[in-house]
Order: sequence, then C-alpha cells, then structure tokens
Amino acid sequence: MKRKLLLVVLAISAFLMIACSSSNTPAEQTADSTPANTTEAAQSSSESTAADTSADTTQDTAADTDAGWHSDYYNAEAMKDITLNMYGVTDTIIPVLEQFTADTGIKVENLTMQNGEILQRLINESTAGTPIADIWFTGGADTFISAAQQGLLHAYDAPEGAVLDDIMKDPDGYWYGTSLTLVNWVVNTALIDEYGLKMPETWDDLLQEGLKGEVSMSDPASSGTAYNTISAILQVRGEEEGWAYLDQLIGQVPYFTARGSDPANNVVAGEAIVGINASNGDRELEENNANIKLVYPKDGTGWWPQPVAIVEGTQNLDAAKVFIDWMLSKKGMQTLADVRYAAVARDDISIPDGIVDIKTIQLFPVDFQANAANRESILLEWQSHLPQ
Amino acid sequence: MHLRTPSPHKLIYGIIFLFLVYFILLPVVSIVFYGISSSDSLFFTTKGFQNSFIHLRHSLSVAIIVTIMATVLGLILAFTLHRMAFAGKRVLKALVLLPFINPPFVGSIAYIMLFGKRGLITHQLLGLTISPFGMRGIVTVQVLGLTALAYLLISSAIQKTDISLEEAARTMGASEGKVLLTVTLPMMAPEIAGTALLVFLASMSDFSTPLIIGGSYQTLASNLYIQITGLYDMQSAALSGIILLLPCFMAFWLHKYHLSKRSYFSDDTTASAIVNRTLPRHLKGMMIGISTLYLTFLLGQYLFIVLGALTKQWGYDYTFSLAHFQSLKGTQIKPFINSFKLASATALFASGTGVFLAYLLKLHRPKFATAADLFATLPAAVPGILFGIGYLVTFRYPILGIGKFWLTPLPSIVLLGTKAIVYLICIARFMNIGLRAGYALLEHVHPDIENASYNLGAGQARTFFSIMLPQMKSAFFASFLRSFSDGMVTLGAIILLIIPSNKVAVQQIFTVVKSNASGDAAAIALLLSFMTLIFLGFYYLLFNFRDVIKRLKAPFKKEVNA
Repeated sequence: MKRKLLLVVLAISAFLMIACSSSNTPAEQTADSTPANTTEAAQSSSESTAADTSADTTQDTAADTDAGWHSDYYNAEAMKDITLNMYGVTDTIIPVLEQFTADTGIKVENLTMQNGEILQRLINESTAGTPIADIWFTGGADTFISAAQQGLLHAYDAPEGAVLDDIMKDPDGYWYGTSLTLVNWVVNTALIDEYGLKMPETWDDLLQEGLKGEVSMSDPASSGTAYNTISAILQVRGEEEGWAYLDQLIGQVPYFTARGSDPANNVVAGEAIVGINASNGDRELEENNANIKLVYPKDGTGWWPQPVAIVEGTQNLDAAKVFIDWMLSKKGMQTLADVRYAAVARDDISIPDGIVDIKTIQLFPVDFQANAANRESILLEWQSHLPQ
Repeated sequence: MHLRTPSPHKLIYGIIFLFLVYFILLPVVSIVFYGISSSDSLFFTTKGFQNSFIHLRHSLSVAIIVTIMATVLGLILAFTLHRMAFAGKRVLKALVLLPFINPPFVGSIAYIMLFGKRGLITHQLLGLTISPFGMRGIVTVQVLGLTALAYLLISSAIQKTDISLEEAARTMGASEGKVLLTVTLPMMAPEIAGTALLVFLASMSDFSTPLIIGGSYQTLASNLYIQITGLYDMQSAALSGIILLLPCFMAFWLHKYHLSKRSYFSDDTTASAIVNRTLPRHLKGMMIGISTLYLTFLLGQYLFIVLGALTKQWGYDYTFSLAHFQSLKGTQIKPFINSFKLASATALFASGTGVFLAYLLKLHRPKFATAADLFATLPAAVPGILFGIGYLVTFRYPILGIGKFWLTPLPSIVLLGTKAIVYLICIARFMNIGLRAGYALLEHVHPDIENASYNLGAGQARTFFSIMLPQMKSAFFASFLRSFSDGMVTLGAIILLIIPSNKVAVQQIFTVVKSNASGDAAAIALLLSFMTLIFLGFYYLLFNFRDVIKRLKAPFKKEVNA
C-alpha cells in the first residue's frame, strides 16, 4: 500500500516537473523582476525552431525584391531571442503577429482583453514599477489618448509615421493608427423580411416604428463603440438636434448592453433586428451568417483609428520600435489588410477582396481629442436622457 | 486527546499559516482598505450608491431563488438516486455529474438559442416571442448548473444518515411521509442548510452568466467586471465589492459557526446501499419524474451545444458542418497546456496542504488553530473576481505586498506580472476543498490511532507515513479531482492576473464568446470539457490503480476458478 502511494506521488511530481520545466519555478520568478526574461525562458525550443525555419523561407523570397519594411533599430542577431508581450482587444491579429515573427525573428505573445481592462492593467503595472506589456496594438483611440495623458506610453518618432494623415496619429508620437474601425449596423435580413420593414440606410431609418425594441446598442459608459457613435452624432448634428435624435434612438433600444460586441451577437441570435456594431471593414459576419447583412449608413458613420503604441518602461525598447516600424511599413500594412481584411491607414496598399472600400463609405468628421476630453460631461448628459 | 506534535509538523504548520495570512487574509483586508481609501471615487455620488444597491438587490433575488430551487432539486435528486431502485439509475447517476465538466459560458448561449425571442423552443415550436434576457435566464442557467453541486453535497449527507432511527419510527407505525418530515429531513437539516449556503455563495459570485444573459439585469458580481473593463474604475469596483462581501460573509458565518456545529451523524454508518421499498407509488413516480426531467434538460443543453459546434450557424442554419472545428486549428495550443499545468499543479498543492492542514488542526490542535481554520475557509466566501482584485491591489507592491511601507530603496520584487501569482491564487482558493475533505474523513478516524502507533514503538516519521498518510489518501484524491476540474474552468479569480505568456483556455473561450462566433465558442468549449474529462479519467485511474487492475482481473479469475 505504502509503496503504491509513494509511486503515485512520485509519478505526479515527476510529471509536474516535466510540465513545469519549460517555465521557471515560482521562487525564480519572484527573484526575477524583469518580465521579458521570464517569458523568454518560457518559450519552448520547438516553437522557436519553427519560427526560425519559417523566417528563413520568407526572408529568402523577400531578399530578392524589396523586403517592404525597414527599421534603424533592427538587429537580427541580438533580437532573435526576444519575446515582446502585447496587449490587444482581438485575437484576429494573430496571423499578423506570426508574419512579424517570420520577418524579424522577434516573437510576440499577445493577451486579449477589453479596452478598459488594458488601461487598468497599464496603470497597475506602472504603479508596481513592473511593466509586463511592451507593446499595445488594437483598441479604441480614446483609451490610447487617455493612456498617453497619464504617461503610460512611450513616444517614438517613427519614420514611417510621416505618411499617415495627421488625424491617424498622435502629434507627439505616442501612438499611430494602423487601420480604421468603422461603426456599422449588423442587420438580420430574415427578420426585416418577416416583419416587412424597410432596410435601414440612414440614421433616421433606425427610428421607424417596426424597429421599436429591436435596435441593439451598447452602453456608451462601458463601450467605446457606443460612445464614439453618440459623440460623432453630437458633433455632426450639433448639440440640440443631436440630443433630440438620441432621445428618439433611446426609445428604440430595449436595454443597453454592457459590451460593444453584444449587439452583433444579439442580432445574429435573432434577439434584435439591427445592432450598432464596430468593425475593421471585414465582411466576416456576412460571410459566416446567411441571414446577416452589414450596412454602412449613407449619411455618414462614426470611426476611429486602431492604434499601436509602445508601453512606457518596456525592457525591450528597440524591439518594440522595430514592431512599430514594421507595422507602419508597406509590408506590415499589406499583411494587416490581407489577413485581417482591415481598412488600413496607408493608401498605397492594394485592397484585397472581401473588404469594404473605404472610399465608398461616408465618414463623420471626428475630433478624437475632444472625444476623450468631453467623455465625462457627455456621459453625464446621456444619463439624464435615459428613461428613469 | 492531546497528541505529541512532531517538529517537522510544526514547521510545516508555520509555513502554511504564513501562507494563509499572506495570500488569503492580506488580499481580503486590502480590498476593504483600497475601497474606503478612495474618497474621490464616483461611487460616493448618490448615483453610485443607488446603483450598487440596485445590483445588490438583483444579486440577492437571483441568489435566493436559485438557492431554494437548486437545493430542493438537489434533495429530490439525491433521494431518488440513493434511496430508490429503478431501471436506468446508473445512467442518471452519471448524467448528474455533467455540469462539473460543462463547457463554460456556452450554456448561456445555448439558453438564448433555445428560449430566446427567436429560440428553437419558444419561437419555432411554441410561437412565442419573448426576451430571454433578465432574471429568468440567469436563474434557469444557474439552477441547471448548481443543482449538481447541491446533489453532490446532499448525497454525501444521505449516505451518512443513521438509518436505524428511520426504521425505529417506521416500526412504531409512522407513515412514510411522517418519517420523512419528522425524522429524515431534520436529521439532515444541518447538511441541507450548509448546501444551501454554498449554493448561495456560488450564485452570488457568478459573473459570467449575468454578463451574457442578464441584459439590463446585472448583478453585483457582473457589475464589478463591467466597472473594471468598461468604466476603467477599479476603486468603485472595490467599493461595490465590499457590499458584495457583506451578504457573503454573513452566509459564511452562519454556515461556519451555527449550522455545522450541529451534527446528528453516527460515526460508523455507511448507508449507501439502502433502498426504500415502502414509499407510496405516486410519490416515487413523481420524484423519479422530476429527476428525469431535470436530467433531460441538462442533457438537452449539452447535446444542443454539441449541435451548435457541428452545424453551420448555431441558432439559424442547422446544416451539418465541421467548419467550427476546422477553425480550431487557428487556435493556439499553448493556452490548453497552460490550463492543464495550472489545474494539475494547484490541485496537487492545494489538496495536499488542505488535507494535511485538516489533519493538523483536527488531531493536533496547534496554536491559532481557529484562526488558521477561518483563514483557510475564507476564500469560499469571497467571490473569485473580488479575490482577484484583492491580489491585484496587494501584490503590485514589492516583497509580497507589504513592501510598500518599507524596503523602498531595494530593487522591487513584485508578484504581479509573474506566472507565480496565478498559481498562488488558485492554491489559496482551492485549499478549502482539501480542508473540508480532510475534516469529513477525520470524522471517521479515531484520534487514538496515532497514539497507538507511538505506543507500539513506531517513530514519528513511520507513524505519519504508514499510519496517517494512507488514511488521508482518499480525502486527498477526492479533493484533487474536484480542484482539478474547478481549476480547468476557473476564470473570475485569474482574469485580472494572467499575463500574455500564461493565458489559459477559459480566457480564450471567454474572448471567442464575445466575438460573435458562437459556433466556434461551442467547439472550443467542448474541446476543453472533453480534455477535462480525459484527464479526470486519467487521474482517477492513477489514484485507483490497484482497484482497477483488480476489477479487470476479476472476470478472468472467476473463469479460472470455475
């Protein structure tokens, strides 16, 4: 009996030793305060060889023509063991990160969270003096602006940033927009047909009688999508007319969802007919769901840049700069456009099929700095317009 | 019954005690301090207060209804499956454990697809168009899941009740109903109440169900998550956390110091095989009916999730398709490995220390035993996400959280942002499972057994390893399996603490659930629950190696004998 038990315990501990050998023991981790080193060691050898071989093949082909990217800070030899930690709001950019690793040999580990969670984490890590993330890529411009104001980002004057429109970047180089996030409507066409409704084309179409209780929208207090939508409407229509419109819109919405992604889920599940949603220009929802159509309102829609930034205090500053340079280069933007079907910030990129042509969409003129600055007062006003 | 305490025991006890103070007491105290130290928080506007109390009311309404329904259902299930004989009982007994490997979150989505405005059952079948969001949805999903927990806890009570008292009542001419109401139930009352309180706590701390199907009806726990992720306001979150702690602590205190003190168990009954033959036919039929109905729902939900993973567009187009499993190829494998490592390592440490602590506290009564017991069981009363906030605000400072006040010139050693913190919080949370398993087991172990060993001349090491360890083995195994399956799907406590290199599978699923791809979410969640099942099976075999071999050999042996 005793021996059997000992055997079991030994087996488990041996197993766990093997399982944990790729990571550090807790004691070592505690002693090691630089997160970069920790993750470095965590990378299993098999992974790095896989990355190396793929890097070789792509670099061979890229060497013939123009590699499509350049960075003054790049040093292939010194950077091959570096892992960048990244925060972001979506997993769909993983193929872009893989391409970056293939091109540079620098590995990227991403963690996907919501905008507010990222901001909160950066604040905590800054208080603790141990920044975990090196870079922050994807999210809403307002959180990047807020983070820059709180000193959480590292300014970098990227050479490639010069080609971007002024509205797509921070004047001091704290962040650069990579692609556009567009507000659109997810419409359940099966239900539009069933109830004999007019397919909505303009913002006023959302107010039609048949859509009462059938418009899904997120809470602007907790969702960037909804906040950008209402602030854009207010900027375009003016204070008075804007709030008058929003009052009517509020009447159409049964309840305001907690997260920006909920309205689209509701429409796909048939819980609502129209959902106010944000997308990067892809048509995936349409392609995967037969009863769904994506509509860009004819009279203009809200949008914001999808930024990339370096986190202040990173231990891998040079590698992080390489990431920014790569991301803003033709190669990076083309990859982003190709794999993510995103409407990218550069206009010298060939647009792949399956993506909306940004030129056909009417965009609201938006002032992002004002959006970030007026957030509290607009939300307070919004509260007073809700049915009590 | 005071025993000699060997000095290695004392040392280990000291280490465990320090662990409890640092990793359980300190974070909980920190939340309170962090919350009330924020004078400029939005919370102190009347609106903030008002909102918190609305959410508290929601939390309490849901929790109370869920507690009553789940406990009653669990009781019926336990009686049906342990005290009655009928065909198909074994199948039902296995089915009732489904929620323990339930794919996380997608149950709520399944509910929307089935009972929503355009749900398969409500709309297509019954022609109704009703919104699934709100309290009804939360209650339904939670009852489905938590009944299994209630069943499990009550079953262990049923197996321990002293059947001879019931027999006595029967021989004195009491009717079956009277026996049930005046003998059986009162005997089990402490266990039932204890079960109810644990169900209450589980319902209070569930944040993902209200988040997905609550609609405008959000509870305190889900609102905590929204406050951090949407409103970027952690101090308000900590303050509403304190409000959430109050009812939880009250329930915990009631359970710990009032109910669990009364016990009517006899020391040595194992009544698992008792079958009640004299129950009136219609009553028996009704109980089997209710049990079957519940389990049908459970199985239906599960199969519907499988259906969602295997069809083109869940909720709209039910054409067979493997597309969702193909898109799994893009999923990284590493989070699954991380989940497994986390669940295994924490289950091992938490169960080991938990059971050992139970042994020390029960048989050796060391100094501060009451405090140690209180600290170790405290995490049961603290909702996971709140415990996570506690870790966040404590361990972002150097040297285990207290270095904020001293040692400032030294290079900071901060736990936040290391992989270790996720392991530590899981061990701290799951240790009470081992502790409770240990206590339950020691009820049946005579304290003098250790003294007997000493008197017969065995040394300290020998006594511990060959007398006590084998005794506590089964408690360790039970606790390990429970902690492991919990660890695979735990999210609330770690969601704010994980770092890019050790993200876990549940977090992946949680992200996919949000990204408008419910079919993919179903597929990946099924994969996780399947993986949990396989490893549970693997560990079960490992622990019961000898029995399994014996059983495998048994038919063979018989043949030889014949």
